[in-house]
Amino acid sequence: MSSPTDISSPTDLPSAAPEESQDAEPFGLGSTALRTDALPKALGIYPYAADLWAEGLLWGAVLRSPHPHARIVAIDTTPALALPGVHAVVTAADLPPGPEGTPDGAPSGPIVADRPILACGVVRHHGEPVAAVAADHPDTARLAAASILVEYELLEAVTDPEQSFNVPPLHPEGNLFRHLPLRTGDPEAVGEIVVEGLYQVGRQDPAPLGSEAGLAVPRPDGGVELHLSSTDPHGDRDRTAACLGLEPDRVRLVVTGVPGATSDREDLSFQVTLALLALRTGRPVKMTLTREESFHAHTSRHPALLRYRHHADAEGKLVKVEAQILLDGGAYADVSSEALAAAAAFSVGPYVCANVFVDAWAVRTNNPPAGRMRGEGALQTCFAYESQLDQLAVQLGIDPLEIRRRNAMATGDPMPTGQAVTCPAPVAALLDALTDSPLPALPLDDPEADWLLPGGPGGAGDPAAVRRGIGYAVGMVHMLGAEGEDEVSTATVRVSGNHATVICAAVDVGQGFATLARQIVQSVLGVSEVYIAPVDSDQSVAGPSARGRHTWVSGGAVERAALMVRHQLLQPIAANFGMSVELLSIADGKITSYDGVLGMPVAEALEGKELWATAQCRPHPTEPLDESGQGDAFVSIAFCAMRAVVDVDIELGAVRVVDVTVAQDVGRALNPRQIEDRIEAAVAQGVGLALLEDLRTDGGRILNASLTGYRLPTALDTPDVRIAALLEERDVVATFGAKAVSAVPAVVAPAAVAAAVRAATGLPVGRLPILPEDAIVG
Amino acid sequence: MVPPSGGPGWGSPGRRPRVRQFDEQVEHGGIQVNRTIMLPASLDEAVEALAVTPGAVPVAGATDLMEAVNAGRLRPAALIGLGRITELRGWRYEDGGTAVLGAGLTHARMDRPDFAALIPALADAARTAGPPQVRNVGTLGGNIATAAPAGDTLPVLAVLEATATLARAGGTREVPISHLLTGLDPLRPGELLTWVRVPLLHAPQVFLKATSRSGPARATASVALVLDPARRAVRCAVGAVAPVPLRPLEAETWVAGCIDWDARGEEGAALIDPAAAAAFGEYVAGACIPDGALDGGPEGPGAVALRLRRTVSVLARRALGRALK
Repeated sequence: MSSPTDISSPTDLPSAAPEESQDAEPFGLGSTALRTDALPKALGIYPYAADLWAEGLLWGAVLRSPHPHARIVAIDTTPALALPGVHAVVTAADLPPGPEGTPDGAPSGPIVADRPILACGVVRHHGEPVAAVAADHPDTARLAAASILVEYELLEAVTDPEQSFNVPPLHPEGNLFRHLPLRTGDPEAVGEIVVEGLYQVGRQDPAPLGSEAGLAVPRPDGGVELHLSSTDPHGDRDRTAACLGLEPDRVRLVVTGVPGATSDREDLSFQVTLALLALRTGRPVKMTLTREESFHAHTSRHPALLRYRHHADAEGKLVKVEAQILLDGGAYADVSSEALAAAAAFSVGPYVCANVFVDAWAVRTNNPPAGRMRGEGALQTCFAYESQLDQLAVQLGIDPLEIRRRNAMATGDPMPTGQAVTCPAPVAALLDALTDSPLPALPLDDPEADWLLPGGPGGAGDPAAVRRGIGYAVGMVHMLGAEGEDEVSTATVRVSGNHATVICAAVDVGQGFATLARQIVQSVLGVSEVYIAPVDSDQSVAGPSARGRHTWVSGGAVERAALMVRHQLLQPIAANFGMSVELLSIADGKITSYDGVLGMPVAEALEGKELWATAQCRPHPTEPLDESGQGDAFVSIAFCAMRAVVDVDIELGAVRVVDVTVAQDVGRALNPRQIEDRIEAAVAQGVGLALLEDLRTDGGRILNASLTGYRLPTALDTPDVRIAALLEERDVVATFGAKAVSAVPAVVAPAAVAAAVRAATGLPVGRLPILPEDAIVG
Repeated sequence: MVPPSGGPGWGSPGRRPRVRQFDEQVEHGGIQVNRTIMLPASLDEAVEALAVTPGAVPVAGATDLMEAVNAGRLRPAALIGLGRITELRGWRYEDGGTAVLGAGLTHARMDRPDFAALIPALADAARTAGPPQVRNVGTLGGNIATAAPAGDTLPVLAVLEATATLARAGGTREVPISHLLTGLDPLRPGELLTWVRVPLLHAPQVFLKATSRSGPARATASVALVLDPARRAVRCAVGAVAPVPLRPLEAETWVAGCIDWDARGEEGAALIDPAAAAAFGEYVAGACIPDGALDGGPEGPGAVALRLRRTVSVLARRALGRALK
């Protein structure tokens, strides 16, 4: 039973589950509540965008550029229009004209509006949309799109990001998305030990399980309603309206079930084209991308080239870090400048170093555009700085954990950006948790029977050629938008009868926000039945589902709204009982006084009324990094330490990750089961990047746009994931003191796997993914 | 696939309605396309259907074929579904120490213990051929007919010197699998692959495959190796490095001479000098990836070929080691 002090402190909510009901469903914050969508997804009744249907719908298809860089000389759509069943063909000329009155493809973008919806004059990457068709059958639409005649004049494709500086602009906006110099301390400082390294990270694709799909329905008022798996309904609505020259209120975006997203999903060009086809034909238009198109249509992780030089003293303390970081942003800006800020600011990692000199660039090439993916920017540098620390440990002859301990960042320490880490930074405690965790046993007794050798069951593995390696890595990633971005979310909570409803435009993309919102309301209002309303853009703005922000901003908004409802509910009763609101508690649908003497059911207290409250949450503001990379740019930071154990067949170069042990700084575990799920998912993604996943290109052309060619980790490639510790040191400014959990394990896992492969083989692993040829000894 | 419409598609008036058949006329971007799917219930019906429908493509598991059809790379005039021909889905012994395998034998079936006891290398190849969904429907005959370079059963069939029975209206003929794969004696129009005859060796046989992940994956290289103690011979085939499985015949002959055949069966006897086993690996790799492929610089095709040669060498050495253990 909760005490009055619990109620007065909003960040420390009472755990409302009464102790006697052991068999009841998990309830409230801190419980291992089942995901709200788990059962429908398991039963196959969860409605995804690809399942949508409307009477009289047409099917859309897109014609994409086969060239990475070419001038469009002419487009002849007549062969497509001549096909029976084709209702509309659109090109850049059908989009609203630009400021000069000529078509410009309606460029758009999350930060810089540089990416045309349909290519106008020039194509800048393989797979760029050029035209789109609506027809009465999906095959007809595809055939019609293929029959459009486009005359290209091929231009030289710039695919090496280092060449991007020296070539004529590929776009009127130039080739440099951002240059971020970061300078702090004494440039003349020199350490006794100097290690250098060159590191490369490949192109990881989010490869969501469900390919892009959506339905656009024209509205009688000249607007359009879009049914999409959007992760940012209001941002997508505003950008779509702007591209179509409509008022934002003429575009309504209804969020359907999201079949997997780690941040962004549908590319804007997909939904604007869909809307344009619906407006043009006056009929509903549905579009579902094939797997191959899907690889062309969404953004991938930034490939990176990192050059590092670490100076350390004889004790292993960092003296100076110099780095050059180059991110290949691909053809369009997307969020490259944001990713670059994270790359530069976290270029030293969770370590203290007084002298840091970094130059970071994000550049334009004719490669596929890169965008947001868990830990963008932070992941690439984590691989580099952790590899450097391992090199230092070897030079000094000390344990890799020891060198990390000697440099570990703690709460209050400054980052290279000059910002003090005010949130908990339990790096040393995370390392200790790993040290104490037992290692997986070596299968010495009966290797062939029990041991899953590298190469898999039935593979060519030979125990005599297998070496085991253990590697460690620590990493960090920021939460919420950085550099002055306005972070805000609004939520409404309604109570009537014996149930509550949450109305909030925060999309549950798989991160579990709906489950969390339910837990929050359960804890505050004591009702077990909590419904989460479907999301559409008529609701108040909640912002994108990215950077682990919804737990904080939308979770905070839901909590505040629920507390306001609680107050409305309890005030008349408190007055009636002659006591203050703080002395009442709600549990199991009943209101009880502090002494347990007075009480009444919630339904009775409501007297058939409905109670509503709407609240906002806006964390403290941040500021942009200045011309020397200084500034309080981040709201809060999450840390994670990881130990990877790998087996390497050193003759064939086959690597199997046996075990990954995770110690993570979670602030507060709001739902331990969901945290474990998120960590396992992120480790799988990180292991995929470390060993398998690479969207390969040749001269800008994507070579492996299929799930056969793009190797995702299977169950056999995914290691056992063990949680050594979930450190609950509450972040006082964060909602519930909790930190985002999904991104940071994905940031750290590739570095940990690389360290383990290095330990097993003794080879300098300098690029990700680690291919068999990088792990062959001799 | 075409839903059974029940209407005019049931049998066609011009022919004897023996084979269950669906016809469909679809409009494909304004072009009228005839689609015919025949579902023969017996081998005779299948052969007959093939004879009267030129250009018809037989299909069993469809794991390769339908992917090509769906992607638009292949638009067969007619499909002959072999799924209802139960006689092709099993296997039997034949006098003279031969197993006769139906072309419709699935990879999942070949992985079962009774089959694995008979032809272990083929069972190993079938087990690693793909995820369970693919192995449950993908067939031995399909693997041979598709003849993909990385087809996992192919090096095993080559090394076991299996033969294929090809049926046509009015007769059958036997062709060595290797002749079929190399195009020396290809499948002729109207012929259907029905049986695969595999001589039983009752001697160690090994299939090893190198892939790029632990989960199901295409082979970067594979090696099948069998011992033939009666003839004191070693046979070896390398898959996935060339369009067809390669037999390094000289290496086979050479290594057979290095093995102490008389020590076989003796406890703890070393049957071959480890250096000779390693040399065998090099010999096989050198034979399958010729020196000419190594040109092209340290990062070019030469480097790829060199790595492949090394992989084949390791696989061949390990395969010999396992066979002799």
